[in-house]
Amino acid sequence: MFKPQAMDKVELIIPEHEVIQTTEALAASGIFHPIPPTPMALGGPAHPDEEWQKWTADLVTLERRILLVMEEFNIDAGPPPATPPHIIEPRVAERDIERLEHEAEIPVHELEAARRRLTQLQKYVDQLAPIADLDVDLGVLRDLHYTYVLLGSMPVANIERLESSLEHIPFVLIPLRREVHFATVILLGLQRDADVLNRAARSAYLNPLLPPEDYRGTPAQAMAAIQAGMERTRQRIAEYEMEIARLHEMRVRHLRHLLWRVRATHALAHTISGYDYLQHTYLVTGWVPRALHARLEQEVARVSDKVVIATLEPGAEDSGRIPAALNNPPWLKGFQSLVTTYGQPGYDELDPTPIMALTFPLVFGLMFGDVGHGLLLLLVGLLLASRKIRALQSVAGFGVVIAFCGASATLFGALYGSVFGFEDVFAAVWFRPLEKITDILLFAIAVGAVLLSLGITYNIINAALRQQWGHLLFNRNGLAGLIFYWSLLGMAARAFGVAIPIPNVVLVILAISAGIALTFAEFLAHLIERRRPLLDEDAGTYIALAFFELFEAVISLFSNTLSYVRMGAFAVAHGALSLVVFIIAQVLGAPGSVGYWIVVVLGNLFVIGFEGMIVGIQTLRLEYYELFSKFFSGGGIPYQPLSLIPKRGTLNVPENAGG
Amino acid sequence: MMSSGVAAYAQVNATTRALYATLLTPETWHALIQAPDFAALLGQLEKTAYHPYLKLDRQILTPRRTVYQLRWHLTHGYEKLIRLTPEPGRQLISQLWRLYEVDNLKATLRGIETGASWDEVRRLLSPMSHDVTLTNDTLQRMLTSGSIVRAIERIRHTPYYDTLIHAVARYETEKNLFPLEVALDLDYRRGLWQSIHRLKGTDYEQALRLVGTSIDVDNLLWAIRYRAYHHLSAQEIINYTLPFGYQVRDSDIRAIATDADINALIKRIYPHLEGLEEVPEPIDEGISSPQRYLAALERALHRHIITMCRGTFLGNPFHIGVQLAYLMLLEYELRDLIAIVEAKASQLPVDRLASIIHRE
Repeated sequence: MFKPQAMDKVELIIPEHEVIQTTEALAASGIFHPIPPTPMALGGPAHPDEEWQKWTADLVTLERRILLVMEEFNIDAGPPPATPPHIIEPRVAERDIERLEHEAEIPVHELEAARRRLTQLQKYVDQLAPIADLDVDLGVLRDLHYTYVLLGSMPVANIERLESSLEHIPFVLIPLRREVHFATVILLGLQRDADVLNRAARSAYLNPLLPPEDYRGTPAQAMAAIQAGMERTRQRIAEYEMEIARLHEMRVRHLRHLLWRVRATHALAHTISGYDYLQHTYLVTGWVPRALHARLEQEVARVSDKVVIATLEPGAEDSGRIPAALNNPPWLKGFQSLVTTYGQPGYDELDPTPIMALTFPLVFGLMFGDVGHGLLLLLVGLLLASRKIRALQSVAGFGVVIAFCGASATLFGALYGSVFGFEDVFAAVWFRPLEKITDILLFAIAVGAVLLSLGITYNIINAALRQQWGHLLFNRNGLAGLIFYWSLLGMAARAFGVAIPIPNVVLVILAISAGIALTFAEFLAHLIERRRPLLDEDAGTYIALAFFELFEAVISLFSNTLSYVRMGAFAVAHGALSLVVFIIAQVLGAPGSVGYWIVVVLGNLFVIGFEGMIVGIQTLRLEYYELFSKFFSGGGIPYQPLSLIPKRGTLNVPENAGG
Repeated sequence: MMSSGVAAYAQVNATTRALYATLLTPETWHALIQAPDFAALLGQLEKTAYHPYLKLDRQILTPRRTVYQLRWHLTHGYEKLIRLTPEPGRQLISQLWRLYEVDNLKATLRGIETGASWDEVRRLLSPMSHDVTLTNDTLQRMLTSGSIVRAIERIRHTPYYDTLIHAVARYETEKNLFPLEVALDLDYRRGLWQSIHRLKGTDYEQALRLVGTSIDVDNLLWAIRYRAYHHLSAQEIINYTLPFGYQVRDSDIRAIATDADINALIKRIYPHLEGLEEVPEPIDEGISSPQRYLAALERALHRHIITMCRGTFLGNPFHIGVQLAYLMLLEYELRDLIAIVEAKASQLPVDRLASIIHRE
């Protein structure tokens, strides 16, 4: 639980003709983490088998084509299949897709055309509506001898510009109807200026909308004819929609199945194109949890007895590149998510999830101590974790986090003697923060000191695991830092009158020794690790820098510790906020009245929601910035077993190497 | 006013100053220009702020891919400053950033027109990861639709739809993307102008000075290009240009549309424009090389903007001008870098490069 699972590096030598079933078996095992393609495999000259790369490219296009047909039939991708579907050759898939596209083509295109026509006819009606009362034959407008008429629609933003572009010739531009973006306008000018008017109108995006000559008579008569045409078009649209609905029913299963087959084949081809290739065999390297190594061999042996699996010794090139398979029980997944949000733990370091699971609820409860509020959070957390609310299933993992925080808040509530803000229901087991503000602040600092020490201890263990002895002994977050910190704390405590069973002189000697070790940390680390040169800079610069770094280390330890004061401050604020709720309730109604209880209930809900959120953020901040920064860098590689049912987008080669 | 500016711009200014310090130095430019070939150029670029974006295998880093990777730097610059800049300045920077979305849209439409594959088109696009309406997925869906009309239907729920759907009637008649592209360009700059006018005080003045000048230059060059290249009528030139600007007035555009002396007009608007003496003799209907004239004029005007942007970093820094100036300088830097990448890939002699890039 404290360390990622031990991993074995394995190399598989796969005969060329068994690469497909072996890759499928590797994916089906769900435990093999392939090493990403090497530059050589990514299209370099040493990889002669370009067929898979062609498959990959073809399958991307095919997937897109399937999705287009599905979109036309209003079909979504559906849930991923439980087991990977059989692979499909691109040319077979293409034949199938062509048939489906052909099937979709006529109704879909006709439907689109009918919809466009309906829109166009509607525009004609809209355009004629302002002149519906005119008793003039539209044919007259078309065949005027001296006057040029252009009826149409144009962007509102262009009207002014069109007018100003025509300032040197006589014209009239009348907006007949204005909408948000477009206006129906009539442009009148002289027939001799027709060319200029036309060019100007066209460049101002004035689209002529005079109905086709089929629509004759007065505007009212033309509108009636157009509306009849619209009705016919609507009937046709309904027919095409029915046809598409029928195709939807007929093809929904087939299309989804085909889509997932193509996706699985794409994942397979992409994976194989990343293998190294050597003389009719593929070389595949990857990682598998040591505990599951035998299972991997069994899975592969089930499909082929010719595949050779060798266990490799991790080399220098693997340093920092081994995937970390975190080893936490399911109920800790919510805390694990909080950790991976900050960063992915590395293979050769402790997983911070257990310490997070321990300290997060502790810090939260200390700030939010109230039996009532805590029990409510506990119930909400358990409800979320039970997955009974379908809409919130995706955050079920955080239900456990909330439940833990609720339990911790309940416990501290009992210690503080507070339930839903009432401080007189039962006696505090410990003390009420509002009554002993100094005590709670000092307690918070003490807790902070313990947590920081825990962080430094974690860092010492990590350094030991990585065999970074110089870092372990002399780093500010190493042994020297811990001794320095505790000796300073001891002296400070004694100055405040706390009895310390260690003589002051011992504390001073420890602080000075550790301070010297911190000052010359780089030199000492290089010395014991036999690294040369002993100093990266000249001695003068080094000493000057070392002095300032020691100074910064002291300030940093001081500020990190004081940062935890906020825990006490929030515990006080929680009590004070509840007090404010009761003051407001008493102003609005006598205790026991309806108004009083409404304010108390609403006030408590506000405290739980608003203050709970702020306390949650503060807790996360203390965990991330004060605690994690001591030992956790988060640059690890997540363990991602090969799968042929990819999540969307996981197959893309990173486009942006720079992040 | 000043104190509120200090509070609002404190963080973003610190960031912008830090980013400004990462712009390429004259020494780096010299080394890049003098690089004997494309491989050497990549070697030089690895010593710059573009290094993180070029951490790819050299075989993958073709000139086209390199340009694509370099664009990420601008993307991250914009995304960072959009996030940090307070409203309503943020809206203006977002609108400036939209230019690249418009360019991506135009590239996709061109791809449909020429029957290009997605793989061919995608590396021509500016990478955008946040604050984007048209994602790569949307653009790919447009491309695979196979026709301009269907492609536009696929972006029905975006702000570009209304602009394009009205212009598509002309596309269908003329089978030419010109009306679609002009409609997008004009719409984009109208939005930019509106965003400037949402600002107040120093922010407004600075945005008008910098972005307004950029709009001026575009408008001016469009008008000249329509007259010299496309031989459009005065009415068309007026309708295809903008009626507003910072120093370039509507009357100036009309004068260009109606055959005024362009050089005299430029000298009147920009009496202190440096490099104008390099611009060849006036342009007219019978001009032999409008291309050379426009290229020289464009370079002089862009250098003028670069000088303005650099000047913004002197004096009171608590206004939107600092962010705009940095982003505009970064854009010019990227344009020049792309020119150098393409020049090195096509083995253009070093002495020819000077006439292509914007910096002196």
